[in-house]
Amino acid sequence: MPSPLLQVENLSVEFKTDEGALRAVNDVSFSVAAGETLGLAGESGSGKSVTNLALLGLIPSPPGRVVAGRAMFRGEDLLTMKPDRLRQIRGRHIAMIFQDPMTSLNPLMTVADQLTEMTRLHLGHTARQALDHAVMMLERVGIPAAARRVHDYPHQFSGGMRQRVMIAMALSCKPELLIADEPTTALDVTIQAQILELIRELQEQEGTAVILITHDLGVMANSCRRVAVMYAGRIIEEAAVDTLFYKPRHPYTLGLLNSRPKLRSDGASRLEPIPGQPPNVALLPGGCAFQPRCSFAIDRCRTDRPELRPSPEGSRFACHIDVETAPTHLPEAAEVRT
Amino acid sequence: MIGFLVNRLLWTAATMWVVFTITFFLMRSVPGGPFDGERKLDPEIKRNIETRYGTNDPLPVQYFRELGKVCRGDLGPSYKLADYTVNEIIAQGFPVSASLGTLALCFAIGLGLPVGILAATRRGKLPDYGSMTIATIGMALPEFFVAPLAIILFVFVWPLFPAAGWGSWQQLILPSVCLGLPYAAYIARLTRTGMLDVLSQDYIRTAHAKGLAPRDVVLRHALKGAMLPVVSFLGPATAGILTGSLIEEAIFAIPGLGIHFVQSAQQRDYTLAMGLVLLYFLLLSLMNLVVDVLYKLLDPRVKLDS
Repeated sequence: MPSPLLQVENLSVEFKTDEGALRAVNDVSFSVAAGETLGLAGESGSGKSVTNLALLGLIPSPPGRVVAGRAMFRGEDLLTMKPDRLRQIRGRHIAMIFQDPMTSLNPLMTVADQLTEMTRLHLGHTARQALDHAVMMLERVGIPAAARRVHDYPHQFSGGMRQRVMIAMALSCKPELLIADEPTTALDVTIQAQILELIRELQEQEGTAVILITHDLGVMANSCRRVAVMYAGRIIEEAAVDTLFYKPRHPYTLGLLNSRPKLRSDGASRLEPIPGQPPNVALLPGGCAFQPRCSFAIDRCRTDRPELRPSPEGSRFACHIDVETAPTHLPEAAEVRT
Repeated sequence: MIGFLVNRLLWTAATMWVVFTITFFLMRSVPGGPFDGERKLDPEIKRNIETRYGTNDPLPVQYFRELGKVCRGDLGPSYKLADYTVNEIIAQGFPVSASLGTLALCFAIGLGLPVGILAATRRGKLPDYGSMTIATIGMALPEFFVAPLAIILFVFVWPLFPAAGWGSWQQLILPSVCLGLPYAAYIARLTRTGMLDVLSQDYIRTAHAKGLAPRDVVLRHALKGAMLPVVSFLGPATAGILTGSLIEEAIFAIPGLGIHFVQSAQQRDYTLAMGLVLLYFLLLSLMNLVVDVLYKLLDPRVKLDS
């Protein structure tokens, strides 16, 4: 197997708060091969975004700090790299798309200025080249009348169009890796599919690897080959997308799958939320972080934190019990396995 | 844009009329008049003077006569500085105050803006605390403390500049620095606040993610937005600083307009006071207009309603 494009090992990120150091990302390891799409799933606050911001040195510091880990990208460690070197990688080799295209583009600069500054910086384009390239990129992401609209300001575009502009900008230097942080969350449902389709299309054309951060499992199922699920700063399950959906190993993954609306005809099926709240990572319980909300929890879960272990299907999961056979406690979770 | 400007200028004219009216009646409702002194004037002489200046006509007659003159751009003779018309006094004093004010403003912007940016980008570190402490002190210290202190330091202890007077460029330095310092402090604080606000925006994170150097992120992506609060402050501040400062001009013996603002009111010099109020108000309106246009230039989302 060729060495992966990005190999993250034991990444831990802490934030200094009044309540003490808060570990937002804890011992996270994953890898992304060239051209593949890795999904990163989890509730708000599970550490998905922080993990990726940390890779590019974009967590506000202070209070944030990478306390451990390596992130090898093209033979170099992103986490210990000099700031100047990291800047050459940002935008050029690893690009990012953010959640809200309304706020992620600079409202006081034209789209042309925001696109051209990137290729002028990284590819040494002249003003003329950069503008031609910007127009070309806008055409590729499907912005009509790109040659004229390139001189518009972001507020003159709709939300979906702005996200297209973000994508055009992110891909304008042909990065090897694109980190898409909830790229469709802020958009209308009808636009979401278009944007995902666009990312997939461009990815296939350019051979770009993608880390797709989302809490939308439907998006995952359509876009990713492999998915890692995060909970309270840790990866608790990682599997090929089919395995994850049909043979989830971690009770949390199972809960996520069951809390989706289903298209079934058997009458009044209610959503099954995971009981309880996402944990405050400053006040994690001993043992497994998910144990207070887990309907399978046994005594051991309160004392021993489960490490990631392999499953017969080739996935990795961090749980002491076998969700296929273990009994559940909470009556409202009784149907979990059906 | 043209429609907006025309509209605003018409509004300015209308507001000027309101200001004129209020000032006219306010001045005359205050006890005492321009020709009341400690010594009682001979009734004959007083009547002659009042006939000459028309101050014993009924108020409505005076009001419309004055309004007509002001509309023609004639502010009339000063009641106290008998050899001068108000137009002449303003023509002499305003350029002095305005050049001093312009210089002070340049100094204030030139110092305040970089300090504010520096403080914001080094937030919570020594440059931030240091400069903001100094800025707070700078805002709190009154002019009549700073100016004499500057004179002691840079005229007597370390003789770099002349103590007072008007005419050479050396004489401009000390008063404009003293006049500009509190403004510099304000601008520094506003720039810092504006900058911190902008730096926490999502699009700044995008700019970093694009691989831009921190300097480019600040200067190209953040500065424009950070300037907005400073620009709104500078509008009225410019009107104030251009019309002169009583204290600075008194301390440095500068023949500007500042002193007239106080004296014309105290001496019931109706015409001069009216002239100065109208001048200040005109400047204020124009500066606010400039602020609105600048806003539009800085932030394309702003719509100028006409």
